[in-house]
Amino acid sequence: MPEIRVTPLGAGQDVGRSCILVSIGGKNVMLDCGMHMGFNDDRRFPDFSYITRNGRLTDFLDCVIISHFHLDHCGALPYFSEMVGYDGPIYMTHPTQAICPILLEDYRKIAVDKKGEANFFTSQMIKDCMKKVVAVHLHQTVQVDDELEIKAYYAGHVLGAAMFQIKVGSESVVYTGDYNMTPDRHLGAAWIDKCRPNLLITESTYATTIRDSKRCRERDFLKKVHEAVERGGKVLIPVFALGRAQELCILLETFWERMNLKAPIYFSTGLTEKANHYYKLFITWTNQKIRKTFVQRNMFEFKHIKAFDRAFADNPGPMVVFATPGMLHAGQSLQIFRKWAGNEKNMVIMPGYCVQGTVGHKILSGQRKLEMEGRQVLEVKMQVEYMSFSAHADAKGIMQLVGQAEPENVLLVHGEAKKMEFLKQKIEQEFRVSCYMPANGETVTLPTSPSIPVGISLGLLKREMAQGLLPDAKKPRLLHGTLIMKDSNFRLVSSEQALKELGLAEHQLRFTCRVHLHDPRKEQETAMRVYSHLKSVLKEHCVQHLPDGSVTVESILIQAAAHSEDPGTKVLLVSWTYQDEELGSHLTSLLKKGLPQAAS
Amino acid sequence: MGRGVTGLAPACLRASQLELFSPGAPGWPFGDFHALPGRRLCGRPLQIRQVARPGAGPEAAEGRGAGLSSLIMDPECSQLLPALCSVLADPRQPVTDDTCLEKLLDWFKTITEAGSSLLLLQENPCLLGLLCHVLKPQDLSPRVLAFSLRLAGMLAAQEDCFQYLQQGELLPRLFGEAGPLGGAAWTAPSVRSGWIQGLRSLAHHPSALCFLADCGAVDTIFSLQGDSSLFVASAAGQLLVHVLGLSLQGPAEGHPGLQTGDWPVCAQKIVSHIEESLRSAATPQITQALNVLTTTFGHCHNPWTQVLWVRLSPLVARLLEKDPVPAAHSLVDLLLSVARSPVLSSSSCGLWETLAQTLSHLSPTQAGPLALGILKLQECPQALRAQAFAVLLQPLTCVLEATAQAPGLLDSWDGTGGASVTVDTLLASKAACVGLLCRTLAHLELLQPLPQRPSPWPQAPLLGATVTILRLCSGSATPTSDAGGHLCAFLVGCVRVQRAALDFLGTLSRGTGPRELVTQVFAVLLEYLTSPDSSPTVLKKAFQATFRWLQSSPETPGCSDLDPHAQLFLRELLPVLPKRLCSPCWEVRDSGLEFLTQMIGRWGGQAGFRRALLASEVPELTEQLLRDPESYVRASAVAAMGQLSSQGLRVTPASPEHPGGQQKSLLAELLHILSTDSEGFPRRAVMHVFTQWLRDGHADVAADTERFVARVLQVASQDLDWEVRAQGLELALVFLEQTLGRPSSHCPYAVTPPVAAPPGPLAQALRPLCRVQLFEFAFRALFDCDRPVAQKSCDLLLFLRAQTASYSGPQGSGSVPEVASVEAALQRWQAGDQGQPLGYLEPEVVVAVLRSMDLEGLRGALAESSDRVEKSPQSLLQDMLATVGALGEDEADCY
Repeated sequence: MPEIRVTPLGAGQDVGRSCILVSIGGKNVMLDCGMHMGFNDDRRFPDFSYITRNGRLTDFLDCVIISHFHLDHCGALPYFSEMVGYDGPIYMTHPTQAICPILLEDYRKIAVDKKGEANFFTSQMIKDCMKKVVAVHLHQTVQVDDELEIKAYYAGHVLGAAMFQIKVGSESVVYTGDYNMTPDRHLGAAWIDKCRPNLLITESTYATTIRDSKRCRERDFLKKVHEAVERGGKVLIPVFALGRAQELCILLETFWERMNLKAPIYFSTGLTEKANHYYKLFITWTNQKIRKTFVQRNMFEFKHIKAFDRAFADNPGPMVVFATPGMLHAGQSLQIFRKWAGNEKNMVIMPGYCVQGTVGHKILSGQRKLEMEGRQVLEVKMQVEYMSFSAHADAKGIMQLVGQAEPENVLLVHGEAKKMEFLKQKIEQEFRVSCYMPANGETVTLPTSPSIPVGISLGLLKREMAQGLLPDAKKPRLLHGTLIMKDSNFRLVSSEQALKELGLAEHQLRFTCRVHLHDPRKEQETAMRVYSHLKSVLKEHCVQHLPDGSVTVESILIQAAAHSEDPGTKVLLVSWTYQDEELGSHLTSLLKKGLPQAAS
Repeated sequence: MGRGVTGLAPACLRASQLELFSPGAPGWPFGDFHALPGRRLCGRPLQIRQVARPGAGPEAAEGRGAGLSSLIMDPECSQLLPALCSVLADPRQPVTDDTCLEKLLDWFKTITEAGSSLLLLQENPCLLGLLCHVLKPQDLSPRVLAFSLRLAGMLAAQEDCFQYLQQGELLPRLFGEAGPLGGAAWTAPSVRSGWIQGLRSLAHHPSALCFLADCGAVDTIFSLQGDSSLFVASAAGQLLVHVLGLSLQGPAEGHPGLQTGDWPVCAQKIVSHIEESLRSAATPQITQALNVLTTTFGHCHNPWTQVLWVRLSPLVARLLEKDPVPAAHSLVDLLLSVARSPVLSSSSCGLWETLAQTLSHLSPTQAGPLALGILKLQECPQALRAQAFAVLLQPLTCVLEATAQAPGLLDSWDGTGGASVTVDTLLASKAACVGLLCRTLAHLELLQPLPQRPSPWPQAPLLGATVTILRLCSGSATPTSDAGGHLCAFLVGCVRVQRAALDFLGTLSRGTGPRELVTQVFAVLLEYLTSPDSSPTVLKKAFQATFRWLQSSPETPGCSDLDPHAQLFLRELLPVLPKRLCSPCWEVRDSGLEFLTQMIGRWGGQAGFRRALLASEVPELTEQLLRDPESYVRASAVAAMGQLSSQGLRVTPASPEHPGGQQKSLLAELLHILSTDSEGFPRRAVMHVFTQWLRDGHADVAADTERFVARVLQVASQDLDWEVRAQGLELALVFLEQTLGRPSSHCPYAVTPPVAAPPGPLAQALRPLCRVQLFEFAFRALFDCDRPVAQKSCDLLLFLRAQTASYSGPQGSGSVPEVASVEAALQRWQAGDQGQPLGYLEPEVVVAVLRSMDLEGLRGALAESSDRVEKSPQSLLQDMLATVGALGEDEADCY
């Protein structure tokens, strides 16, 4: 029985690292290959030993698909391809291919710098991994091999994020990755056509939440920054190199322009140029507004945002600084934070989630006295703010996407079990489809009934037409023919053509039956009696008495013979072809009732 | 919506909640443990060490030893732990981050491995309280339940602590039928996994075995082998192996002759279960049994394993009678595990016959890994090796036959059986054909470099077959038979097979081959390098294979140049390279540059290569790629240009746009990249080139070394990429070595001549270093926010200090005010201020500052990872407590 199997190695009832194995039509695909930033050891990567158990990775997996550049979706990729040994193709969109190595490199540097980890992937490994990537365009059907094809759809969320449809024959699975159903400052909303997949694997981060409008969050952010700057404070915004940082830059740039503010805004590590480059390059991935105004004004060419120099942090007066990394766990952002933390006029805005063990996590959870190296205590007097700018679909958005794609089944990943449970019930009630939420390591198996295309020969169709019946698209019609399976193709042809094509001789198959009649007369006379009886009963059929004494009715042949042991009994040998199967069985049942007395 | 989180106090630190878990308080399960009667459990007398409760008199603390307490638990953590246990036990306080629970368990593991678990429990009664509390019917998170099960197991790993927990019947309540096992929580895989991991930790002593038997755990483990979660099922198998090993630790170890009938009940039960599974008609059950045996024989080499194998091998052999062979992959793993076991492979229980039988029964695809495994064995009958090698060679033989070539592969290797099956597999479908060929090529690639590879190694036929496969893939082979036609149709344009074949071809370069075949190898490589159809990954592999083959080419006798054959190939190859350097794919341009850099590094000094290279457009194009839009390519171009220039291969004609004008020097060009490139890779590449140039005495550098070093250090010190700054220190070290002499060897046994101090006074020797402002760079780097930079600088300054110690001449201490001002600047830098530059420093001042600094202390501090404070258990507990109530509905807000 054909089936689709899904096993999450990560993101099954959690929001850690996404890594989902899908088997469809005999093909094995890995969806995302993420890393968990909360761990410092091998636990940060999915446990790939469950795949290597099936032999060599490259032999087992047909491809890896990466939905977007966030590290919880692509962070384990260099480890997987260069250290575990996967040597097959990796698919992602063009922007993801461009941005992914930057974030991987950023993380590598922090791991080596901060933790002194030696057993970590190197820059060369990141590059070698990226060379295995096959970049895809939106809505482009990419043939992975003769049977497996994939297609990317716009997902919003971050630049280059995509949902992927994976198709083998008539079976298909859609994986959403992370997506956003409402447009934001620089990206549009996710969209997919009514592709009716067998299974939709969707993220469910905000499975129970109806989120307030992003506009409110943006207004709140600008208000807070403005207030801090007005009172002469310095604002630190720790960010990851690319992604949300650009969205916040557009916000501030527009606000500064509108309010005619003079306080400087800085962006560290030379990423503004790089971001500009990528956003210009991938302008088609941004939202309509940015694309429309691009000709007059490129939103990513910032007038107010300047490159940061380390010496600027000591300058007097207000300023806003975007610095990496985003969780205040190393490097420049942490250095600036230490410098500014003691002044209550200053402010730090955390625009995203921070893992345990980082300074970002500590200050977000309200800790104000931080132990630093050498048992120094850093007192945090500056204002700490958290702003969630993450762009995930909320419960309404997820339902909207399910409605758009019309899947036969839904499977929830990238969310918490309790919230998933709620959404699962909602989906099952509203759409009357089965919804699954496997934990990591659990396999969901869905039986499928693949439809196999069959070509019909012209000759057969013409013969059908000759019978005077016109084709009607709404009414299915029964058609007899011979099914030939040749060169992995199915064709329905006439039996004559099949014999000719396959070079076979025709064999005739006849059904036979013996009917015993009590009749002491000679065989010829019995045969004559049978003829007369059938002639009178089967008026619509051609009944013949042949010179050799046998009787025929269409293809049915009846011969009378003497019984070897009982001379008073005659044996009627009846045989017929499969075309006359119905008539044959009717006739034998008729004969078994005996011949009419009047004839005797 | 954004939220401020200022002024949040952990809500969980209320003392009233803690009472719930204090000894003697209501709900305390054991009463006063001093009053516990000595019970006998599993026939073993209960022994509890006399230990004191916290707060008991000083005499109670005797015997613990002064340092023991710190090994057990930090007092600060001990203070935080009750509050944390309260939080964990409270279903209204969801634990949002399961990584915290994992880290908490890591910490407990360290503590219990270092000291007494019983002491830990007694000093921290809240832990016991938590374990009791999770058993109450409540809506507790599966994560906390799983955590508690794992913690309980970890604690009970020590027998005295196990007995202690047994007295309160806590362990049967946690791990028995009455516990989570029978409840709704069992539906959560994390709870089942916690249950297994808890038992896995617990099962370390004989009392644990009795416990497992009493609470019926073994039956549950059997059923969990078929769990819906891969993780749980796998852990259950591992636990079974562990329990089997533990139960046989005492009895069967001492008596190798002991038959399974005399084994302990627990072991017998497991063996019977394995037998039953092997007899089962259901493949999953057979797989489970085979996996358990594989792990057992792989990890344990005690004599009892032989008894077990003798008993089970007939059942395993019987699996081969089924068609198709069930659980073939697991069967192969088991047989190889048995063959690798020193105990089992030497026994005479028909192992080699079973292996031979298995080889002939399995399909070619399934038999490949077994054949490879057999050939990797150190000792194995020759006939079996021959059969295994024949299995591996069969698909390539079919390819040669299908293309009407003399196979020759199996000439020396008996075993033509299975050829028709292999042909059938190859011709069945494209997927089967591609899969089998890729696996075969990969297996042979792994086998080739091994010392135990079959001998004679059929190098020539293998080369022939690989070249043929590559030709079939490119469409240049002419099939002469129906089978060849089919193969051609399957393989043409198949990137998977191309990649596998090119990898194997590269590996084959370690051996030699007849001239004619080597010519064919170069021809097919050239075909791939030239073909517009080659994908970027295929091209990369083609470049790699080409380099390996060129490397293995014999050199012309009497001179170190390439042999004429390879020279000829180079002449054809170099016109191809420019096309690849102009490819629209950055991957191809980069692979081309990497190949070029390798080539120059290897043959840059050889006349034939130089002539061919200079006659091509390659050097010019490489220089153009310094301005490539892709940073990876720019970095590779920098490396290639550095090599070209070092070898004197940089073409410097007058620019066509500016006839007669001087072309910008490469040094200036690279300096420009170092100061302006927006990405780190090219800047890092420039620093590598500069360091190499300084080391090699490159002409552009030697012209004015001091100026060069000063300029590079100035730019590198401003770089935002710490790897560039660290590389700057590397360059500074090279300059230092050249100025003062090499560092002495760190190996105490190395015979090294005494370091000869350069002539002249110290001040004179240090002056060039002062002039290039090396000290300002190094002192600033010492307080760099990126640890590797600070470490490198510290090492450099320590080396410098050691070097200056051996100098002759007056060792002046410098003028006191100047030293004080430098020290003040250093303090400011340490505090994070950038401050003003130091300007020119007198050597005497430098020496005085160096001697006054505690560089060893700094090095010690830097050796620890910079997140050690945040990573500490105290920090973890604080974070977990602080998080309670701080995160709201959107706490899963990840990215």
